[in-house]
Amino acid sequence: MIRHYLAAVLAATVLLSAGIAGAVLPGVGECLECHGDTTMEETLPDGRTLSLSVDLQTYRASVHGGGACVTCHVDAKAPHERLKKVSCGRCHGDAEKSYWGSSHGKLHAKGVTDVPACHDCHGKHDIRKSMDPSARTFRLNIVATCLRCHKDQALERKYDLPDREVMAAYEHSVHGMASKKSGLLGSAVCVDCHGNHEILPGDQPRSATHRQNIPTMCGKCHPGILEQYDESVHGKGMRAGIAESPVCTDCHGEHTIAKIGDPSSSVSHRNLPKTCSACHDKEAISTRYALPKKRFSSYMDSFHGIAVEYGMTKAANCASCHGVHDILPASDPASSVNKANLPRTCGKCHPKAGPNFAKGDVHVEVSPKKAMGVFAVRIFYTIFIGALVILFVLHLGLELYGRWNRRKEKSPLGKEGQS
Amino acid sequence: MSHADLAAGKVIRMSLLFRIQHLLLTVLLTVLAVTGFALMYHGNSLAQWLIRLEGGVQNRGIVHRVAAVLLMANLVYHAFYMLFSREGKPELRQLFFTKRDFDDFFQSLRYNLGTAKEYPRFGKYGYKEKFQYWGATGGVLLIAMSGFMLWAEEFSMLFFPKFVLDLALIIHGYQGLLGFVLLYLWHIYNVHLHPSVFPMNPSWITGKVSAEWLRREHPLEYEKLKGEGLL
Repeated sequence: MIRHYLAAVLAATVLLSAGIAGAVLPGVGECLECHGDTTMEETLPDGRTLSLSVDLQTYRASVHGGGACVTCHVDAKAPHERLKKVSCGRCHGDAEKSYWGSSHGKLHAKGVTDVPACHDCHGKHDIRKSMDPSARTFRLNIVATCLRCHKDQALERKYDLPDREVMAAYEHSVHGMASKKSGLLGSAVCVDCHGNHEILPGDQPRSATHRQNIPTMCGKCHPGILEQYDESVHGKGMRAGIAESPVCTDCHGEHTIAKIGDPSSSVSHRNLPKTCSACHDKEAISTRYALPKKRFSSYMDSFHGIAVEYGMTKAANCASCHGVHDILPASDPASSVNKANLPRTCGKCHPKAGPNFAKGDVHVEVSPKKAMGVFAVRIFYTIFIGALVILFVLHLGLELYGRWNRRKEKSPLGKEGQS
Repeated sequence: MSHADLAAGKVIRMSLLFRIQHLLLTVLLTVLAVTGFALMYHGNSLAQWLIRLEGGVQNRGIVHRVAAVLLMANLVYHAFYMLFSREGKPELRQLFFTKRDFDDFFQSLRYNLGTAKEYPRFGKYGYKEKFQYWGATGGVLLIAMSGFMLWAEEFSMLFFPKFVLDLALIIHGYQGLLGFVLLYLWHIYNVHLHPSVFPMNPSWITGKVSAEWLRREHPLEYEKLKGEGLL
């Protein structure tokens, strides 16, 4: 009886072992017996062909090269039918989670196929660490990786994306030039501003490029400037949720950001007045925040304004007096345009500047309230010149009238005394 | 006056020195007006074209200041000449306004309206010439003072607050406009367009006018010259 029992256990063990042996997981070598063939391909239903070959060397050099095919292709056995999709999230859970929250991921989840999945940016068997200069996600390669789709006009139209000009502008911007021309790793590439896995359009509050997040985002690389900005009237307003307060991009632009010395820059010496006046020449903003009016036209009519317009870079523009990232209202004792500080501010260019520089308003609207003296002189001259012209014309007319009258009366006699 | 002049009925009205001063004044005032109004009306496209023609704002300023300095030199020379030279002193005396000028002015109005029989009898300079002369002198002095204040703005502001310079700037511009109107409506009319001289009173170039014109327009001067045996 026991003998039979043992025999049954033995048979079962042998059968079980045979079963396990039959289902044993294939190694890389076994997979490559088929997939090492460079001509191996599959014809897809739409007629295109998909290469099924894997280059061993490329795979071994990749970040996953030390592993096995079955780590990702979990259902692989030899031979096999079409395998399930690879799930990177099994290991990279956090990245996948952020991806599903992004614009790319949300569309992907709906079954849209022309949005990028992991491998579109990272690669498949050739994935490398982002620190590796040959990785698609290496800092200097990222622009090209994103532009594979974001230069495609069909996609632009389909998803209402920013057009090619916006994309091209980045390449000429100070950030684009620094990474492309100089190969500077510290220069901002797409993901530094837009994020990587969690990319969202700027109108969503969670987006890195949402207005409220922009100063903090730029401050990742420009922390010193962020510190100044946060203390300024613009920064404080922005943090307090005042929508009109400018953030970095309102003055500097986005993809078009250029160096201050570049004539095309929105903050170049000559263009700055126009950039500031985009808000400060707006009636609605001046009224809402009780700011003085006509700041732009009165500046452009001043000698500084005219000189800057004609390219004299040493003439003062807005920033020369008001500051740049640290702008404060004139009522603030720390402001460079506070009356008490004006002699020092003017003194940057006019070394002899003294207290008299602060006695009088600077580029204000000519009105009885703001500039009574100038207003009165202007009225006086307008009336005086007008009256003089009228008197001249009257005198001249009277003279011609007299001559005409006398000629009518005395025409037969010819010449008269006065002519 | 030469015998040839007398024979041709010509009388000298402007000596060579006065003609040179007048020509300098004409050229310099034109340069100052062109460079000055270009800045004053910098929003106008013609003004912008002029500023570019003058080599930008900086060069425009240099041209304007060089012309201003030359004009001041001309003015100082003229003042000394009028105050101290043998030719200038009697000229200056004849240029002062007297009560008679006001009477002449009203008489000319009445004459042209037909209520006075006689046209006023002027000496070498009538009220029109005197008004022109003193108007221009006063205007140029005011423009010059405000101009120097603006030129040396840091120095000026050692003594004056900023709002005084704002006034100097607006006076400088509007007084320039006033002078321009005076020149173009009054002077050009009197010496070019007036029926008695049209198309031009030649004395600013040749220095001479016809004795007949002098007899009609400035009878007192005519009689004075005749009395002195100069005609």
